Amino acid sequence: MRTRSAVVLLAAGAIVAALPWAIGEGVLRLLSEFLLMLAMAQMWNLLAGYAGLVSMGQQVFVGLGAYSLYLTSVSLAVAPYWALPIAPIVCALVAAIVALFLFRLREAYFAIGTWVFSEVVALIISKIERLGGERGMGLPTARLVDPRWLEPLNFWISAAIAAAALGGTYLLLRSRVGLGLMTVRDNDVAAASIGVDVWRNRLIAFVVAAAGCGLAGAVSFTATLYVAPSFAFDPNWVVEMMFIVLIGGIGTLEGPVLGAVIYFALRELVTIAFGLSAGWYLVGLGTVAIATMLFEPAGLWPLLRDRLRVDWLSVRRIPPPLPASAVALRRAPADAATPASRYDATRDGGSSRSAG
Amino acid sequence: MIWVETVVNGMLYGGLYGLLGVGLALIVGVMRVVNLSHGEFIVLSAFIGVSLSGMLPWVYPLALLLPVAIIAFGLGFLLQAALVNRVVTRPDPFASILLTFGVAVVMRNLMVEGFGADPRNIPSGRLAHASLAIGGLSVGVLPVFILALSVALFTALQLVLTRTRFGRIVRATADNRDVVRLMGVNPGRVYNAVMGLSLALASVAGMLLAMRSSFTPYSGVERLLVAFEVVVLGGLGTFWGAMAGGIVLGVAELLGLRFDPNAGPLYAHLLFLAGVLLRPNGLFRART
Repeated sequence: MRTRSAVVLLAAGAIVAALPWAIGEGVLRLLSEFLLMLAMAQMWNLLAGYAGLVSMGQQVFVGLGAYSLYLTSVSLAVAPYWALPIAPIVCALVAAIVALFLFRLREAYFAIGTWVFSEVVALIISKIERLGGERGMGLPTARLVDPRWLEPLNFWISAAIAAAALGGTYLLLRSRVGLGLMTVRDNDVAAASIGVDVWRNRLIAFVVAAAGCGLAGAVSFTATLYVAPSFAFDPNWVVEMMFIVLIGGIGTLEGPVLGAVIYFALRELVTIAFGLSAGWYLVGLGTVAIATMLFEPAGLWPLLRDRLRVDWLSVRRIPPPLPASAVALRRAPADAATPASRYDATRDGGSSRSAG
Repeated sequence: MIWVETVVNGMLYGGLYGLLGVGLALIVGVMRVVNLSHGEFIVLSAFIGVSLSGMLPWVYPLALLLPVAIIAFGLGFLLQAALVNRVVTRPDPFASILLTFGVAVVMRNLMVEGFGADPRNIPSGRLAHASLAIGGLSVGVLPVFILALSVALFTALQLVLTRTRFGRIVRATADNRDVVRLMGVNPGRVYNAVMGLSLALASVAGMLLAMRSSFTPYSGVERLLVAFEVVVLGGLGTFWGAMAGGIVLGVAELLGLRFDPNAGPLYAHLLFLAGVLLRPNGLFRART
């Protein structure tokens, strides 16, 4: 099993490394966009699907990541890629500080609080002349990179970020922190009563998600060579993350991958194959979201998983065997219970987890 | 004197914000659903108002408030009956959030395709420029009318909910939807009417806002944010709290603009964050 995963990983790495020579620049750019969007969606999934934090202001970290990269690269006159590490650091710091305030708010209040915070940051940045105000700023230091390498580099970095987002979330959720997070999500009072530090677990998830979105946002704006508050802090960022996660399946790691594939396939199909405007594409996306919620609220991945009988990246834990008396007591309700639980993890009712 | 005038105008403007939020507060209070398409319905009713006033140019725009509100009631009823009622009983809050979110995205883009993205407004005639001089203060007639209408609608809503049979049924359904079923009430039908009422109130706010300033199909997001701030600042599910929250935000916004003309809604947002952090359950807690 272990050697097989290693072979798969090596093959994937080789394909990613070779791909820029195999396909055209347009497709490469689309793939980079896909990978970055996937990484952001995975971060939103970590927050909403596992930590129980519904952020409607995640675009603030996309924008802060982009602006910290631009400012660092332009003022130090270095190639944008060298300034990349600053983006997650700034976002993580901001997230840790803001969490002190925003974590006082719960559920809908938290969602609105994050959204308003994002608007405030966007309004403040659009008043700073050094950052170009509302007009935004360009990235002249991109000239320091050989133009032939710009797209391949963007693609490799995007692939690395997407892989890190998926792998990192997987490892985080399999750790003690992940178990704590899912316990808190399922019942925060019960979790606190058995000694889970609710606040600390949520803070880790919030900071990780902020750093991830910041990094992905910074790379995303390296490709555009221009940033302005109205693009960087566009609420559509979080809208896209939300769509991808909820259509694919919230609270599963494979869900956002499937959701991102559907999102981009739908977009290319409607805008290129049918030649319709972006507006009609969004109408289609909204309709898909409505249909998903009406007919398959857990998202599409759980459906596909049960059909294919696979379970690649499950973070489900198999509970220790129960004593015989408890098994006898549990039998009756277990038969009546519906197997389709909304979330993937920490429930003992579903199918057993395949060893990773 | 100019500061006093700004505060007074902010309060008058705030009545409109309160009206924007009260429909949302009603929905949250009765069925614990966060309706993300609230802003799009506000904009849609303004578009209906523009179309009606184009078709009937001899009708005074304010006289269109009632027909638009009736149309909005019907739309809300349909939205609830066809879509939201099918997810409202689910235990997780995502179902209704994403559903209404999908509705918002569909509506926004259909409005762009149907009406175009150009800014519009509803002509309000002479009333827009008329002003009264009260004790040395110059106060617009339209803002005074808007505040009076807001207070009247709030009072009417309060009376309907506390004094009528329908109001009693709505409050009972909000308290426990399973128990009211035992009494022969169909919670789904109550929800239909409540959603209709919520969007009717929102449509009045949408029309009045469109008389004051222009709007585009994309304005729904801003309106939703204001409505949310009003509701959260006032305390989720309280009506007079929403009114007070609206007035506080209106004053903050106009004072902020006086102080710093290109600040936009920055100071209102900052006040909102400060208010919510100091009182995480809103300035005015629900009694129940």
